[in-house]
Amino acid sequence: MSEQIQQLSAARKMALENPGYFKQIIQGILPLTAPSAPVELRRWAADFIAEALACPALRTPDKGDLTLAIIDALRSLVEAPDQDPLVLKAGIMAAASAYPVIVRWIIGNAYHPAAWEAMSAIKSKILSVWEGALTPVKLCCIKFVQRVILAQTASNGTEPKHSGLDVNLTMIPPNHNLLDPRLLEAEAIGLLDRMLGGLQDNSSDALIVDATLNTLAILVRTRPATFSRITNAVLNFNPLKLANSPMTPKNKVLVKSMTKTTQMLLKHLLMRDSHNPLAPRLSQHFDRLQRSRLEIFDEANRKRALPEQAAAGYGDVKRQKTEAAAPQPPLRIQPLAPGPHTLAEVFSLTNNTGLQGFDVTLVPAPLTARINVRTLASLDQGQLDLAINGVRDRLIALYAAAPAVAPVPVPVPATATAQQASVNAETVNAETVALGVEEDDDAYEPDFYAAEDTEQILNKLDNAPPEEPPEQNAEPDSALALGPFRLPPPPVLNPDTAVKVSQITAMRIFGPLSGLEDPLVRKPKAGLNRLAANSHDRDSWLTLITRLATRSTMGLEDDIKTEADATALGRPQMSLGNLIREMLFNYVLEDWRRRIEVAVAWCCEEWYNDQLTKREGLGAPLNYERCALRLMDGFLSYITAQDKVLTRFLSEIPQLSRELLGRLKGLCSDPTTVQLAMTSLLYLVMMKPPARELALDTVYEIWVEYEDARPLAEKYLHRWRPGFAEAHAAANGAPGGNGSQAMTA
Amino acid sequence: MSAVDTASGAASSSKPDQNGQNGQNGGREDPGGFKLKFCTVCASNQNRSMEGHLRLSLANYPVISFGTGSLVRLPGPSITQPNVYKFNETSYDSIYRELEAKDPRLYRANGLLNMLGRNRQVKWGPERWQDWQIGMPRTKHKEDKGADGMEGGVADVVITCEERCWDAVIDDLLARGSPLNRPVHVINIDIKDNHEEASVGGRAIVDLADSLNKIAAEEREKVGASAFDSGSVGARSGFDERVPDVLAEWQERWPNLPATWTLAWF
Repeated sequence: MSEQIQQLSAARKMALENPGYFKQIIQGILPLTAPSAPVELRRWAADFIAEALACPALRTPDKGDLTLAIIDALRSLVEAPDQDPLVLKAGIMAAASAYPVIVRWIIGNAYHPAAWEAMSAIKSKILSVWEGALTPVKLCCIKFVQRVILAQTASNGTEPKHSGLDVNLTMIPPNHNLLDPRLLEAEAIGLLDRMLGGLQDNSSDALIVDATLNTLAILVRTRPATFSRITNAVLNFNPLKLANSPMTPKNKVLVKSMTKTTQMLLKHLLMRDSHNPLAPRLSQHFDRLQRSRLEIFDEANRKRALPEQAAAGYGDVKRQKTEAAAPQPPLRIQPLAPGPHTLAEVFSLTNNTGLQGFDVTLVPAPLTARINVRTLASLDQGQLDLAINGVRDRLIALYAAAPAVAPVPVPVPATATAQQASVNAETVNAETVALGVEEDDDAYEPDFYAAEDTEQILNKLDNAPPEEPPEQNAEPDSALALGPFRLPPPPVLNPDTAVKVSQITAMRIFGPLSGLEDPLVRKPKAGLNRLAANSHDRDSWLTLITRLATRSTMGLEDDIKTEADATALGRPQMSLGNLIREMLFNYVLEDWRRRIEVAVAWCCEEWYNDQLTKREGLGAPLNYERCALRLMDGFLSYITAQDKVLTRFLSEIPQLSRELLGRLKGLCSDPTTVQLAMTSLLYLVMMKPPARELALDTVYEIWVEYEDARPLAEKYLHRWRPGFAEAHAAANGAPGGNGSQAMTA
Repeated sequence: MSAVDTASGAASSSKPDQNGQNGQNGGREDPGGFKLKFCTVCASNQNRSMEGHLRLSLANYPVISFGTGSLVRLPGPSITQPNVYKFNETSYDSIYRELEAKDPRLYRANGLLNMLGRNRQVKWGPERWQDWQIGMPRTKHKEDKGADGMEGGVADVVITCEERCWDAVIDDLLARGSPLNRPVHVINIDIKDNHEEASVGGRAIVDLADSLNKIAAEEREKVGASAFDSGSVGARSGFDERVPDVLAEWQERWPNLPATWTLAWF
C-alpha cells in the first residue's frame, strides 16, 4: 500500500512540475475513488482531484476538460453511502471548484445536459448532507454553497478574473434551455439565507462562524444582490454571546476568534467601500467590538501583567528565557598576585582588562545608586556571598603578607564596592549577551556602550593623579586604610566673580515669581507685621523679596559705604540689596499699572528700614527717598490721563517729600495730564492731613508756574488755603480774573 | 486534508516529540507519518518567521515562510537609516554580503549577520505574502529547508508572529476571494521582534505544530464514517474542530505569547 502511495506521489510531483500531466494522471486514478478501494487510496485520490481542480497553474480551458472528465466519478464519490469523512470533505472541496467551471461550460454547450445533471446531483447531495454533517464536512459545504451563490448571482465586475470567481448570472443568456437565471438567482438567495442563518444558529460554534464570515467578503464586494442581506446578518451577529458563559481557556479562544474575524470582515469592507450608506453602521459595529474585545481580554493592559507574572513565579523576567535552565557559572575570584595592589584591584572581580580600567566615578552618582539598587534586588545571594568572601580572602591574604599594623574597618565598604564591581561586570555582560556575541570573543569590542574606549580610559587614568600616593603603596596596610577625608578648598573668590555670582543669585530670587499664582481670595493686608512666608503665593514671595532687598544687609553695610568709590574706580559694584532693588524696580516697571501694590509695599519696607537705620544710628545710606523718586520717575515716563493708580501710589506710600511732589509739576506741562496731577494732589490734601501743607505748597507752585493748570489750582487753593484769595486778590488781580474766566468758559 | 506522501496509520502512530526542546540545535529523528503543512509569516520574513521556518523544518514539517511588509526592513546604523530591500528580488546572501561590507562590527554586534547567515542556509531570499500565488506548485524550491511536502504550494496552518501580520494575511485572503476552496487555520502568536523572543517563539511554534499534527494524525487514523461515532469526545471530532482546544491548551503552556485564531480559506 505505501509503495502504491509512493508511486502516486511521484506521479503527483510530475503533474505539479508540468500541469499538462494532470489530466492523464487523474484519469488513471479515477478507479481509486470507487467505494471498494482502500480508504487510504480513496483519500489520496480525492485529495488529488481537489488539488487538481483548484490548481491555479491550469488554464481555464484545461480545467474545463479536466472537470468534465472527472464529474461522474466525483458524483459517485460524493453520493457513496457511508463515505469516509475525509474523502467526502475533499470531494466537496473539488465540487466547489468544479461548480463554476461546469456552469461556464454549460452556458456555451447548452445541448450537453449530462454534465449539468451530474453537477446538479452533486449539489443536491451536498445540500442534503450539509445540515447533519460532521463539522469538517460542514465547513466545506459552506464553501461549496458560497461558490454556488457566486455563480448564480449577478456580478458588478470587480472580482478577480480567474479560478472561476468571475462566473456569474449575467453570463447566462436569458433563453438558455438548461439554466434559468431567475430560478438560479432565487436558489442562490435562498442558499445565502440558509448560510447566514448559520451565524445566528451556531453563534457559539467558532469554526462555522469563522468559516462563514471568511467566505462573505467577495460576495459583498462583487455580488450587489447579496450586499444588504450579508451586512445585516453581520451587524446582527454578536460574536461576544459566548463571553457571558464562564471564560474557560477554550471559550477565550473562541470568543476572540469570532470577534476578530468579524472585525476583520468589517474592516475589509470599510476599507474598500467607505462611501457606502451602511458604512457608518459597520464602523460603529467595528468600534463596539473593538472596545468589548479590549475589555474582555484586557489587551490594552497586557504590559501590566508583569508584576502578576512575577508574583506567579515566572521569575523577574518579562519574557521566558531561551536558556532558562542555564545556570550562571559560579563566580571565580582569582587570588591577587603577590606584590602591591591598589584598593581598586582588591575589589575588582572581573578579569576583563577593559572593565578593570573603567572608572566608575565617571558614572553619575544617582545612576550608580539606581544600578546598585536594581542589582541588589536581583542579585543572586550565592553570587554575592561568593564575591564578598572572595574579596575578604584577598584582604586576609594581603594582611598575612604584610606586617600587621592596624586593623582596618573593612566589611561595609567592601561589600558595597564588591557589588559595584560585580554590577559593572553584569551590566556589560548582559549587553554583550543580548547582542548575541560570545563572551570570550576578544575581537569584538562594542564601541557604543561606553563613550570612550578602553584605551582612552586607560590613557586618562595614566594621566590622572594616582588614587593612592605611590609611597603609600609601599605599605599595604596604609593602602587599605581609609585616611581622613578633606574637602578640596573652594576656589578663591575675587570681586568680579562675587558680583557675577550675586547677580545670578538675585536673578534666581525672581525666578519663581512667574510661576506663582495670585491667591484666589484676597486677604486683608497685615501691614508690616505680616509674615513673609505664610503661604507659597506671589504675595508672600514678593514680601520676601522686598525684605531681602531692604533688610538683609542691614547693619552690614558699613563696608559698602564705599560703593560709590568703587563705582568711581570703574568697577560697578552693587551690594546684594541694591542688586535686588534694581531687579525689583525692573519687575515693577515691567507692568507698573498692575504692580503698583508691589511698589507701595516695597516703599513701605524701605521706609521702615530707614527708620530702623536712623534709630540705631548706623549711619548707613537711606534708601526710601531714592527708591520712591526712582519709581515716580519711572511711572511718569509712561503715564497717561487715565492712570489713577498714580493717585493711589502717592496716597499709600508712607512719606511724601517736596521733591517727590515736585515731580507732579512736570505733568502739568501736558494739558491732558493736568487733571490727573491736580486730582492726586487734591486727594492728598483731603485725605492725608499731615501732607496737606506740602501738597498745597505744590499746588501753589503749579499755580504760579503753569498757565494751563492755573484755573484748577486756583480753585483748590481758594477752597483749602484760607487767606489765599485775599492775598491773591490783594497782590495781583489780573491772573485770577483770567483764571476764573477760563474756568467758566 | 490534501495529498501527502504517506498516510499510513501504523507509521503515524509514533508520537511527535511533545516537549519541543530539542529543536534548537538540530533536527530530530523523522517519525514519518502524516505531516501538516505550515507557513510562518512575520513582517520582513527575516527574524521571527525564519526562526519558525527553521525550527519547523528541523522538526521535519513541510514549511514555507513569508513577510507581509511592503519592503524588507532591517535595522541600520540609526533608527532613521534602516536597510531596505525588495521582497522576492534580494537574496539573504546578497544582504549578508552587503551589510558585511558596510559595517561588519555593527551588524555582527546587533545580530543581523548572524540572522542572515542562518536565513541563507534556510532558503534563497525573503518572500512577500501578498505576492505568493497560493496553490501554484512550488517545484523550484527544492533546496529550501522544509520544502519537502510543500510542492503543492498550499499550507494547512498559517502561523503569523504579530497581530498586524495576521490582519494583513486575513485581509489578503478576503481580497483574493478564496478561489481554492481550501480551509486554512490562521493562527497569530504575538512574538516581539528580537532574536531572543524569536527563539522562544520558535520553540512555541514547534510545540503548537506538534500538538496540531498529533490531532490531525489521529483524525486520519480513523477509517470510515462510523469510526467518528465511537471513541472519546475528543477523538470523535475532526481535526478542524479540535484546533481551538489545542490552541487553548497551548496558550496555557505559553501564557506570554497571546494567540489569535481563525478558520479562513485559500
